[in-house]
Amino acid sequence: MKVELQINNSANTNARYVTWAPSPCRIRVTDPSGVTTPTVAVQITSNSAPSAGAVVFRSGATGAFANSLTLQVPINGNSVPFFVAGKFGRPSVNDGDITVEARSGTTLVGSVKLMVRIRKNANSLSTAERDRFVAAFAQLNNQGTGRFADFRDMHVAISLPQAHGAAGFLPWHRAYLLDLERELQALDGSIALPYWRFDQAAPNIFTRDFFGVANATGTVQFSATNPLQFWRTDGVPGISRRPLFTTSSAPPGLRNESQTLALGNQYRNFRTMEGNPHGSAHVSFDGWIDDPATAPKDPLFFLLHCNVDRLWAKWQRQFSRFNPAVAASYDSNPSNRPGHNLPDTMWPWNGVTGGTRPPTAPGGTLASSPVATAPGPQPQVQSCLDFQGTLNAASRMGFDYDDVPFG
Amino acid sequence: MATKRKVAKRPAAVRRHKRAARAAQSRKGGVKSGAAGRIRAMAQTPLAVCESDRKLQETLTTLRDQTQASSVRRAALQMLQAASFSTIAFEPCRGDYVAALRAVVDDPDAELRERALGILAREKDGFAQKKLLDGLQNPDKALVAPEKALQLLANDVHAEGYAIARAMVKNPPNPDAKREALRLLAADATAAPLFESVLRDKDELREIRQVAASALQALRPEKMRAHAREMLMDKSEYDDIQATSLTALTHFGGEAVAQDDALMKSVDRLSGAPSAKVKQSARRFLQKYGR
Repeated sequence: MKVELQINNSANTNARYVTWAPSPCRIRVTDPSGVTTPTVAVQITSNSAPSAGAVVFRSGATGAFANSLTLQVPINGNSVPFFVAGKFGRPSVNDGDITVEARSGTTLVGSVKLMVRIRKNANSLSTAERDRFVAAFAQLNNQGTGRFADFRDMHVAISLPQAHGAAGFLPWHRAYLLDLERELQALDGSIALPYWRFDQAAPNIFTRDFFGVANATGTVQFSATNPLQFWRTDGVPGISRRPLFTTSSAPPGLRNESQTLALGNQYRNFRTMEGNPHGSAHVSFDGWIDDPATAPKDPLFFLLHCNVDRLWAKWQRQFSRFNPAVAASYDSNPSNRPGHNLPDTMWPWNGVTGGTRPPTAPGGTLASSPVATAPGPQPQVQSCLDFQGTLNAASRMGFDYDDVPFG
Repeated sequence: MATKRKVAKRPAAVRRHKRAARAAQSRKGGVKSGAAGRIRAMAQTPLAVCESDRKLQETLTTLRDQTQASSVRRAALQMLQAASFSTIAFEPCRGDYVAALRAVVDDPDAELRERALGILAREKDGFAQKKLLDGLQNPDKALVAPEKALQLLANDVHAEGYAIARAMVKNPPNPDAKREALRLLAADATAAPLFESVLRDKDELREIRQVAASALQALRPEKMRAHAREMLMDKSEYDDIQATSLTALTHFGGEAVAQDDALMKSVDRLSGAPSAKVKQSARRFLQKYGR
């Protein structure tokens, strides 16, 4: 007998990534040889090293998770659904470092390798994780000729009102990061965008092997083995960034995580974090990252914003602010510019140009993922709130943070 | 490899304002406890400048006021910068902000001067670009070191910038200026032969050769591959240059590299090299190309 296990309801090997949020899966018998009953009991378990990721299972969309699950699977080839989620606190380190196994009795009848792909603190990445991330990012940039150029063009002076200074700041950047992350994952499926926790010392980020070390002029230097030495934007190689703080400690004057989460249980209060810590983190450097129009030229931008998004995710969980229908979850207002109210689609993914939108829409629609369908190719503001699918499983966007559990 | 570094001539503006700066510092006596409180307050609530014109004008005045402690003025600048990320709310403040930045580009405080010029240059501000070019053409008018001026001009390269950068490469006041001039020229497709010669010059500083490798790989990848092949076979070549070449070919080499058997043989030999970085780069290369 043989069974097929489909992760994220897909036979595509690129779909074999899960987060803390439950992923819909299914199992079906592909070869019923030796089975004489209409159904067969199949036990699903997982195997992984202690330092690798771990997953848990449940049979339905609700209920408790367990380390194993037994399902009655018909031999006629019909699928039986179940759910897999990363075990909180046990993210993967390498691609496919978990094996999900299906057994009939003691006989192994099917297995797949998968990964609990989670956004982690960049300061704590393993050497292999760091190197994979740097390689994928350099490849996406491809010396200024790659797809990264679209991401640079999305965040320029003329487009800033789409993304800054109003309620849509957080949803817009959530979509922006996800778009970039999915492009990185298309190059290397094991990549999850790491975050720079700017309220803590992060000396491992500011090394020549990772995001580089500034020389006296403020040009970032990389090791000879780091492909980011070939970084190029707007036709010019290199990165301009000089920290105004000692990189063995955190930048001074920034609200820390507790202070940020204490800004209030209303979104309109919480979003003032756009000034401090967000803006303050940007201007803790002298260089591209200190100016909104040039900030994404520096790849560190994406780690900084990943932390901004993580803080929003933490705040959402703390106050249950996933539901767009709850007024405190967002700050819709008739006076908001287009793109900043819940039902609005967001530029550039909506392709709308002219009028209150910029004259061009670089990059096309938001990248799709074999792991999750939300927020769709032309996301609305409201589709970026329930990112884990806590309220509606179909809203799951396919990312999670190492210190923000599901639900 | 040439490692000796000339000391850059101090920019004229620094000399000119040195006395005034000392006097201002002496008047203020550095950061006092009141100043520390103001700095903390400005850091905590950067968006306050968008909330009232009075607060904005107060912060702009602090930024311009040479009698204030440097740390307070820098905090005022950071407050304005942080608020500038809130673009819609900051829009009404932008004109006054840019005017204040222009007012401090020749300030006695070198750090403030450099940061104000940096912000303006990143915004492609013509006033700042002219100041930077003037300083490169006439060092008596320089507001920042030549390498910094070149770095900032690279934010918006024009033909005028190329001409001065070429002159700096020929006759650099210091190695940093040469490096930044080469970075600026990397946007100029006609500069490929220059990068080839810099890349192959073993007397050049490693970081300057690294810039040349990066520029050449982007402008003429086939030339870079040819040079890389030779440099990898050259036993007298520096480890970091070999590692840089291998990194370029591994990540950006493409199909032509995969089919280059002579190159594969050279790299295969280097996978057992004594240098850790060469060995690491060679192994990544072979892994990438399935050898």
